[in-house]
Amino acid sequence: MKRARGARLPQGLLLVSAAIAVLVGLPVVITVVQAFQGGALAAKAAITASATPTLFLHTVELAALVTPACGALGLGTAWVVERTSVPGRRVWPLLLVAPLVVPLFVTSYAWATLSSSLTGFWGAAGIVTFSYYPIVFLLVAASLRVIDPALEETARSLGLGPWRTFGRVVLPQLRPALLGGMLLVLLDTLVEFDAFVALKFQTLSVNVYSQYQLGFSPAGAAALSLFSTLTCVVVLFGEYRLRRGVNYTRISHGARRGVVRYRLGRAMPLALAALGLLVTVSLGIPLGLLVHWFAQGTRTAGAPAGADGVWPATLTTVLLGAASAVVAVLLALPVAILAVRRSGWLATAIERSVYLSFALPDLVAAIALAYGATHVVHFLYGTVVLLVLAEAMLFVPFAVVALRGTIGLIEPSLEDSGRALGLGPLRTLCRVTVPLARPGLAAAGVLVFAFVLGDLSTAQVLLPPGLNTLGTQFWADSGTVAFAAAAPYAAVLIVLALLATYVLMSRFGRVRGLSER
Amino acid sequence: MAELRCEQIFASYGHGDVLSGIDLVVPEGTLTAILGASGSGKTTLLRVIMGFIAQQHGTVMVGETLVARAGGAHFPPEKRSIGYVAQEGALYPHLSVAENVSFGLPRRERKTSARASEVLNLVGLGSRYAARRPHELSGGEQRRVALARALAPRPPLVVLDEPFSGLDAALRVETRAAVLHALHAQGTTAVLVTHDQAEALSIGHEVGLLMEGRLIQTAAPTVLYRTPASLDVARFVGEAVVLPGRADAGVVSCPLGELPLINRDIQGLVQTMVRPEQIQIRRPFAGESTHLARRAGVTARVGTLTFYGPDSVVQLELDGLPAPINARVLGYDVPEPGEHVELTVGGEVMAYLTAAKGSLTGHRVGLPQTHRLPR
Repeated sequence: MKRARGARLPQGLLLVSAAIAVLVGLPVVITVVQAFQGGALAAKAAITASATPTLFLHTVELAALVTPACGALGLGTAWVVERTSVPGRRVWPLLLVAPLVVPLFVTSYAWATLSSSLTGFWGAAGIVTFSYYPIVFLLVAASLRVIDPALEETARSLGLGPWRTFGRVVLPQLRPALLGGMLLVLLDTLVEFDAFVALKFQTLSVNVYSQYQLGFSPAGAAALSLFSTLTCVVVLFGEYRLRRGVNYTRISHGARRGVVRYRLGRAMPLALAALGLLVTVSLGIPLGLLVHWFAQGTRTAGAPAGADGVWPATLTTVLLGAASAVVAVLLALPVAILAVRRSGWLATAIERSVYLSFALPDLVAAIALAYGATHVVHFLYGTVVLLVLAEAMLFVPFAVVALRGTIGLIEPSLEDSGRALGLGPLRTLCRVTVPLARPGLAAAGVLVFAFVLGDLSTAQVLLPPGLNTLGTQFWADSGTVAFAAAAPYAAVLIVLALLATYVLMSRFGRVRGLSER
Repeated sequence: MAELRCEQIFASYGHGDVLSGIDLVVPEGTLTAILGASGSGKTTLLRVIMGFIAQQHGTVMVGETLVARAGGAHFPPEKRSIGYVAQEGALYPHLSVAENVSFGLPRRERKTSARASEVLNLVGLGSRYAARRPHELSGGEQRRVALARALAPRPPLVVLDEPFSGLDAALRVETRAAVLHALHAQGTTAVLVTHDQAEALSIGHEVGLLMEGRLIQTAAPTVLYRTPASLDVARFVGEAVVLPGRADAGVVSCPLGELPLINRDIQGLVQTMVRPEQIQIRRPFAGESTHLARRAGVTARVGTLTFYGPDSVVQLELDGLPAPINARVLGYDVPEPGEHVELTVGGEVMAYLTAAKGSLTGHRVGLPQTHRLPR
């Protein structure tokens, strides 16, 4: 039933969300200022440099290949896991999502080590595809779980076979999740850097990074990254046009029963082989590299060198990840509630603007924040607070997406009852919405935590002197080809990431007390 | 326009049978309501008929076509030509009403909306609804569109799962009338599943009572209500006053007096089943003393009273009965609580042999021949 939405929500939520959107957009503003501070000429010089069109083309080609590939892989795997009788339905989601949280620079080194032929375009496309398809998988699988099975059953009763039912009923229902996932993949690919650290493949962000390393003017780097800002805005607008009228209202709750899964029959070995191959490529390669390094390490020296640095780096990384996760979830919660409970251009604009986090390569955003801090809030510069804030702002779109799925499942009437029982909006949030959404909050937090583990650029710029994360240590050691020394850091990172996956998969897109299956 | 015939259907989800030996025949062009409490297996039966699940034993035939035989042929749902109206309608939120209705038609017919507006008219919704989206419809309209969608490809048989649940009383009556009209106009055979006794009795040509996975009794509504196969059935299809008694020669003597029996062959100690509306109350005339009234026949003291408007339920306390009994009397003349009244019983009553507690079979003796008995 259509609900009149809008009037019931307090203006406070709108204001808080708007403030968060502005905060996330802040690095973009600072970058624009930076770009033109060196004078229009310097900016022009950076933009019109001979390599720029090629780099831009590289970036766009990569995104054009990776986005549909992730869409297809995510959709296919989600359908097989959620809708067929494939064995191991509890294990596959874990294995399929794990590649997302394995740090991309580890994967990058793994691919580069595997074969030198993988250091070009195809390697880049492969790494990004096999690391990002889980985003689509997560969203589509969560969406598949809440589609009323009666929609499909009715289609079958009207004479449609399984394939046509999928095309005419299931796919349209999955469109918001599929498009949303592909949008995240697309935006992330446009500014991806970590994945290409070990490759010879040049994109805009890689170039921005080398400009920064070579001590080139920050204005030039900023000017270059305006390309990605522009692309991001265009993509966001395009996606908005594409999904207009797509947010389907769920009109019936139907019977809450499990879906009937398709029997795979003779296709079973094929499905298992496909899933196995996918997991081998996406998870097996980085894990294989790790084993290889350890083997190398024990052959050359007794114990891997520099292992004593592991413990402090682990502590720093975990604390940093946890703090960033909490901040990101706090930032994401008002925006997600606004997006689910309120329609209209303002709510949409605010929700979309957190995606501006993808408008800049991570490195440029970090530099912008450092620049802003030195000029305006000097006491923040060089502190962990700034780093935590930067990480949280970087990954807040993922937290919003994770929360939106869960909050969308909470009946508005539950919140209405809270209000009717005399609770104010804020207390309703604390006593009704948040407790119900706890799995989603945990999922969002864990997702951010895992991304912070795998982050390299931001930590490199903003990490206070004397501190090291697992990522920066790995980077330092692998940069000097001390692979055996780097291995323990990568191992801890991957173990933490796999633990995070387990927590994530038991909570993503769920509501407390609303059991499925 | 085809007969539905289910024979010896057994189905389970791995832990005990949900359906145990269902025999059901729905004659061509009629509507059978399957009545059962939640958990009785009615949705499972419906899903077996549709082909969403496979039965472990038994066959399903639609007209001359064998659509499912356990261990043999199993037509997928899309090959059975059975229309399906899901609970709450299950309209496609991404499609308009017209697109929903024409969903199951061949591509060529989907383009020309002639059939869509024809069936929309049939269910009492004009073509002005065609462009609307499902969320813009009321609950009752959604159900009608769902039926229109099921009827559009002209299936010989339609299956409806709790089609009126969640609708308020007035909307229920209106929607029910529209659904019955549409089914009748198409001459479609229909099976409707419900947990609502009044709905089943008022809508079905026949009503099948499903309990714990067994079709206990399938009969015309009046037969089911007046001559239920057991006390359990009697209590499920309506309110029942059950009194101990002794049956002999077609008459039962019980605390309500000597009452004529429907099942005249029954003999011995019995439980007498009287419907509350059969108990008629006579209030003493003004000046007639309670003493006199008591002498006249069966008397009782009026306990609490629940007034519904057209009628009322009166609780009556009888001497020698441990618990009060209920009578349903017309609303224009209700007694006062505490008043002493004289009771008579209209019509004939049913009796069931008193048997060991919990045994269904004990009640079944002496049934009229019109009942189909379970296995």
